[in-house]
Amino acid sequence: MEFYTYLNIFETKGLEYLLLLSFLVLFILLVRYLSAPEKGGPGAEEKVSTKTS
Amino acid sequence: MNRTAVLSSEFVRLGRFFLEELKPRGRWLTPFNVISIPTIIVGLIILYFRFVYGIGSVTNLSQDFPWGLWIGFDVVTGVAFAGGSYVITFVVYVMRIDKYHSIVRVTVLNGLLAYIFYAGALVLDLGRPWHIINPIIGNSFGYNSVLFLVSWHFLLYMIAMAVEFSPVVAEWAQLEKVRKFLAGLTLGAVIFGITLSILHQSGLGALFLMAKPKIHPLWYSEFIPIMFFVSSIYAGLSMIIFEGTISHSVFKDLIGGRDHHQYEEIVLGLGKGAAITMFVYYFFQALIFIHEERWQLITDFWGYWYLVEVIGFVLIPCFMFAYAVRNRNLGVIKVASVMALLGIVLNRLNVSVIAFRWYATNKYYPSWEEFVVTLMVVFTEIWVFRWIVTRMPVFRKS
Amino acid sequence: MDRRLFLKTAATGGAVLPTGSSAAGGKKENQEFVGVLVDTTRCIGCRSCEVACSVANGNFVPDPKSDNALEKIRDTSDKQWTVVNRFDTRKGEVFVKRQCMHCWQPACVAACLVNAMYKTKEGPVTWDGDKCMGCRFCMVSCPFDIPKAEYHSWNPRIMKCNMCYERLRQGKKPACVEACPTDTLMFGSKRELMEVARHRVYSHPDKYVHQIYGEHEAGGTGWLYLSAVPFDQIGFRTDLGTTPYPEYTKQFLVSVPLVLFSVPALLLGLSELTDRKNEVHAHDGWTRPGDDK
Repeated sequence: MEFYTYLNIFETKGLEYLLLLSFLVLFILLVRYLSAPEKGGPGAEEKVSTKTS
Repeated sequence: MNRTAVLSSEFVRLGRFFLEELKPRGRWLTPFNVISIPTIIVGLIILYFRFVYGIGSVTNLSQDFPWGLWIGFDVVTGVAFAGGSYVITFVVYVMRIDKYHSIVRVTVLNGLLAYIFYAGALVLDLGRPWHIINPIIGNSFGYNSVLFLVSWHFLLYMIAMAVEFSPVVAEWAQLEKVRKFLAGLTLGAVIFGITLSILHQSGLGALFLMAKPKIHPLWYSEFIPIMFFVSSIYAGLSMIIFEGTISHSVFKDLIGGRDHHQYEEIVLGLGKGAAITMFVYYFFQALIFIHEERWQLITDFWGYWYLVEVIGFVLIPCFMFAYAVRNRNLGVIKVASVMALLGIVLNRLNVSVIAFRWYATNKYYPSWEEFVVTLMVVFTEIWVFRWIVTRMPVFRKS
Repeated sequence: MDRRLFLKTAATGGAVLPTGSSAAGGKKENQEFVGVLVDTTRCIGCRSCEVACSVANGNFVPDPKSDNALEKIRDTSDKQWTVVNRFDTRKGEVFVKRQCMHCWQPACVAACLVNAMYKTKEGPVTWDGDKCMGCRFCMVSCPFDIPKAEYHSWNPRIMKCNMCYERLRQGKKPACVEACPTDTLMFGSKRELMEVARHRVYSHPDKYVHQIYGEHEAGGTGWLYLSAVPFDQIGFRTDLGTTPYPEYTKQFLVSVPLVLFSVPALLLGLSELTDRKNEVHAHDGWTRPGDDK
């Protein structure tokens, strides 16, 4: 038998959009984290001449 | 008249050269040889039984489980592992990031050998292998079949990789004009190869779409093809790191220590790519999890097994890669790549064998013969790899 | 030619064309798929169908009198294309014949890369040994788990019911239908069978569960079943859905040409963009404001 149920829009779509937003934020943070291997944070200027012989 | 004389003398030179190169070099009693030679011999004996008495005589395949270790691991996982060649050729030839140029040759070689040997493993699994020419010669094309697509893409991709690797062979045989011509085909072969890879990596996942009622809902979704494709990217990158680590110690005479800093930069770069790809993949998994409302499924063994795969062998190695890249720690990168590879094995085996008919009372376990034949395939591939890299300019410029 | 004459000629010509082509092109094919209706309330478990099937197709012939096979639930195998199972239910013993369902849109046919699994235009799904490679993808894809492989043969066949296709071409009925002594099995087009099945259910609403299994399952099958008890109690899967199984791969197959068109162009474009051959500035970094002054 088919019963009519109210869809909880938060559970169906809301959670997914929340996940998407958190993914975008965390992704940007991840890329910044990966692009600054030296101590000193995201500033990259110091890295220009690290070519050792 | 002159031209035929030149050509025939070239031919003779090549023939003599090749025969000379066939002679074995190096010691016979290395640990690898001692293990691999008996394994290969036993494997060949097993294959004799397989061809005379049928697949069932040497495998545990059954009517409930038509695909086992040979398809689930050798073919499906093996192809994911070989994803490094399309990623690296994309990075070097399309995006022109020259930093990775030195590993292109060995990665393409590994990819080519992997596909040849895993297609070979597939032939061993077929009930009537002599009919494998049927989908090729146009006898009867099953256009609606995903497997038709996958098999054609395999074939075409092997050709593309052979073209990509052929300049190395020409260089080895000192055929400069041929090498130049083949090098000109590289970009086309690379573009063709990347396109084909996208399709057959996802195609291997699409094979399981019709098995919807038979695969555990935690692993089945309509997005399996995309997941297989995305995970093949980091599988390939991890395999490059893993194989590179081994090659660097085994073949260190060929590689030399002078490029160590450059190699370090390459590994860190690959680790960065792996971290990002695994991050995306993990969130994709999370999105599907929420969309399919899989919360209720995390209550039994299968739920925990799923979490082990996705958190233990995707999220954790992802964090390890990120940490290792940030702190320039090659040791952690190597461990992370092994864990990522294990995660791929888990995922592919789960979809094709373990979570396939998870409700069956008689479970499938690979027989010892299946393991030996798998090892035989891998060892033979390594033999060929070793033969090639010790003679052709793969690691070093000639 | 004036306009009126032109219009008259065009109209007459236009009116003639459709009738002309239909006279020349022959009758429209109104082939309906055939199937079999299995009324499990009539089956007595004699297993004559198993015997007849194996005899007609050269398979292992069971001995119903002495093999006690009904004591456990069996599946079709690489030796028998059909089996009868006994289920103990609230309404007593129910006997159910199991064989290929001859789906209207078979998963095995969509799976087969060499068209060895083939849905004939009459309806039966058949297997062609000259083409089969033994990849067993049909086995992976079938929602009813019907195809069986001969794992202990060097030249294995895929074993499944083919609705006695050769007999159908000679105007005969499938061997099992001929052999059944109690009219459990009825052969005909699905339309006819559905009418009979509906009639039986409407006429005896207490005797039957109000469902004809196979009407919509997996997009509709050629073999239909009637039962006195819910179908999941007599060994049927009721979670297979009504979508034809080949539809599950449609999304992927459709995106293949899309990828083949767009990705090479995209990659070529990217490689052109990253091509540094014709770069203008000689600096290592970005051009700075005031550089060209």
